[in-house]
Amino acid sequence: MSSSSFENDERQSRFEIKTLLETSRMLIESQDMDFVLNNLLLITMGKLMVSKGMILIYQPATDNYEVSKSKGRGCPTEGKTLSFNWDQEVKEQSVIRCGIDDFEMPEVIEGDTHCTFFNLQTSNNHIGFLCLGSKGNNTSLSEREIEFIESLSIISSVAIANSRMFTELRRINRMLDRKVYELNTLFDLSKDFNIMVDREEIVRIFKFAMLGQMLIRKFFFVLENEGERKMVARSGIEGSLSSEETDKLFALEDDLVEVDQELTEEIPFLKTNEIKAVIGLQFQSEQIALVGVGARANEEEYSSSDYNFLRSLGNLAVLSIQKTFLLEERIEKERIEEELNIAKSIQQGLLPDPIPSSDKLEIAAKNISSYQVGGDYFDILKVPSGELLFAIGDVTGKGIPAALLMANLQAMLHVLLPIDISLSKASAQINDIIHQNTPSNKFITFFWGIFNPDNREFRFVNAGHNPPIWLKKGKEESEELQEGGLILGAMPTMAPYEEQTIQLSEKDVLVFYTDGVTEAMNEDETEEFGEERLLNCIKENRFQSAAEIQEGIIEEVERFSHDVQYDDITLIVLKVS
Amino acid sequence: MKNFKINHREVRSYDVLELSGELDAHTASQLENSLKKLIDNEKHHIIVNCEDLDYIASAGLGVFMAYIEDVRSLGGDIKLTNMNPKVYNVFDLLGFPTLYDILEEESDAVEKFDNNESK
Repeated sequence: MSSSSFENDERQSRFEIKTLLETSRMLIESQDMDFVLNNLLLITMGKLMVSKGMILIYQPATDNYEVSKSKGRGCPTEGKTLSFNWDQEVKEQSVIRCGIDDFEMPEVIEGDTHCTFFNLQTSNNHIGFLCLGSKGNNTSLSEREIEFIESLSIISSVAIANSRMFTELRRINRMLDRKVYELNTLFDLSKDFNIMVDREEIVRIFKFAMLGQMLIRKFFFVLENEGERKMVARSGIEGSLSSEETDKLFALEDDLVEVDQELTEEIPFLKTNEIKAVIGLQFQSEQIALVGVGARANEEEYSSSDYNFLRSLGNLAVLSIQKTFLLEERIEKERIEEELNIAKSIQQGLLPDPIPSSDKLEIAAKNISSYQVGGDYFDILKVPSGELLFAIGDVTGKGIPAALLMANLQAMLHVLLPIDISLSKASAQINDIIHQNTPSNKFITFFWGIFNPDNREFRFVNAGHNPPIWLKKGKEESEELQEGGLILGAMPTMAPYEEQTIQLSEKDVLVFYTDGVTEAMNEDETEEFGEERLLNCIKENRFQSAAEIQEGIIEEVERFSHDVQYDDITLIVLKVS
Repeated sequence: MKNFKINHREVRSYDVLELSGELDAHTASQLENSLKKLIDNEKHHIIVNCEDLDYIASAGLGVFMAYIEDVRSLGGDIKLTNMNPKVYNVFDLLGFPTLYDILEEESDAVEKFDNNESK
């Protein structure tokens, strides 16, 4: 070997190493696969003075090769796929030299039988081939040249693997970004929905979030409320679902149904609106809503994770909507309670306060209501003539209806009071008015009487009320004040109410009460307090004052019923002074 | 309402909505109303300038989805311009650039409308 050829060799080696270094830096730093491939092809073609070359990329799924880069005449066009009938071993071979190596090769480059294939591979991955045609002067590649291209191929393979990994990472990163964004959307909306009380607004935001997050154009939302299933939101939808069709959709077994032909034949609405999937939404494990969504506008298919997102968002919206219903119910309940409280205070205001006093009569009167508003009524009034009027009544039923009727009775009584009219006639008039103005199942047991302080006479009418007890001084037997007529409001006045007058004497006791006293139940609810206990209690306390007699009775009733009160208790005790 | 504002102005025969602040679940309906009003008045060449838009939630994106078809079927378009990178990233993440004309500058949108170009 002459010294000049040695120098020449050395120079060439240096050049090759330099090329390798520069190329490797350029390739490895690049994350663009296209750039890497293009450069690999151009560098090798230029270096070896080859006018035809291609890069073939292996497609593992179809086991063939795609022409990724192609330069020079006679090469297959880019994008074309080629398949070879190679053994696995060939794919692992670093260099394949057509026409030299010992096996058949198809003619991949037209008119060229001396192509060289350089394997592009990493330690565990076959990427494809760099395929070079014969040299311009039609000589085959030298060992040295092959070695150089092999090195370059190895470096390029690493660069390609890197860029692939980078692409994959970028894809995964983007997917993660989207997931994070989805979670943020759910999180934000759960906060937003939480402070919203307007159902329509929740539905509207839900719709827009669905459309925006998934690029949906066609959307409908059906919500069930109080047994009615209604489409409460839609976008890009034509026509409507019949109630049978809606029921069919609710009856679908899975909570995610991808619409198929069978379903569109049953429900053409789904077809005309190009609905892709129907998702059932639940509240407390009951399906109460569903959404239908059309295709995504970017033509991507829905992934299972997309469906999960849609369902989560839907369930969140349904939960928030249900919450507004519950909230309304609660507000309504509070409003009713508030009204009942007002009614109660109005009702209490209708009872006499202060209770008129008389030097001829000790008076003790009390009303203890069990519910917020009840149907018991009593009144004590000074009549213009100076006499005292006592009234006690019990309206059927409880609550507002009873309270209204009781207020009505109170008003009539107060209007009639100044008019010089007998108890009998007044009773008949009140009965007729109540009968006319109320349903026939509403009536009032009523007793009223007037005490004349001058002669201690007491005249009364009893309209079906528990007869008041009259315990005369020194007598063991009591008398009941029964006379009068029919219960008020049950039917028109046919026969006049009888008015009875009794002569009271000093120390006589009169007790008016409602059935809350005698029908108070014992702890086991097996026995009523009864008239006998009441009478005994009056007798035991007959020497006490009216107030003490009243207290005695109430204490006894409370003891008997263990303080459990089912009905209003009204009690008036009179003791003649 | 989180200082979201929409300013409406006209550039020749085109309508420009300038969004500023945060477009989220609470403010989405404001945008909806503005778009509806334009469409009701047969204004279909709409430019949404996002220069001062700081944030967009998916409900805000949904409003665009809900009205783009209407506008396009009437021969118009909604073109979005001047987005800051953060807002653009959200649009991009969800795939909006393939469906919407998203442009650097408002003047680009005007020019495209002039040349009757659509996405």
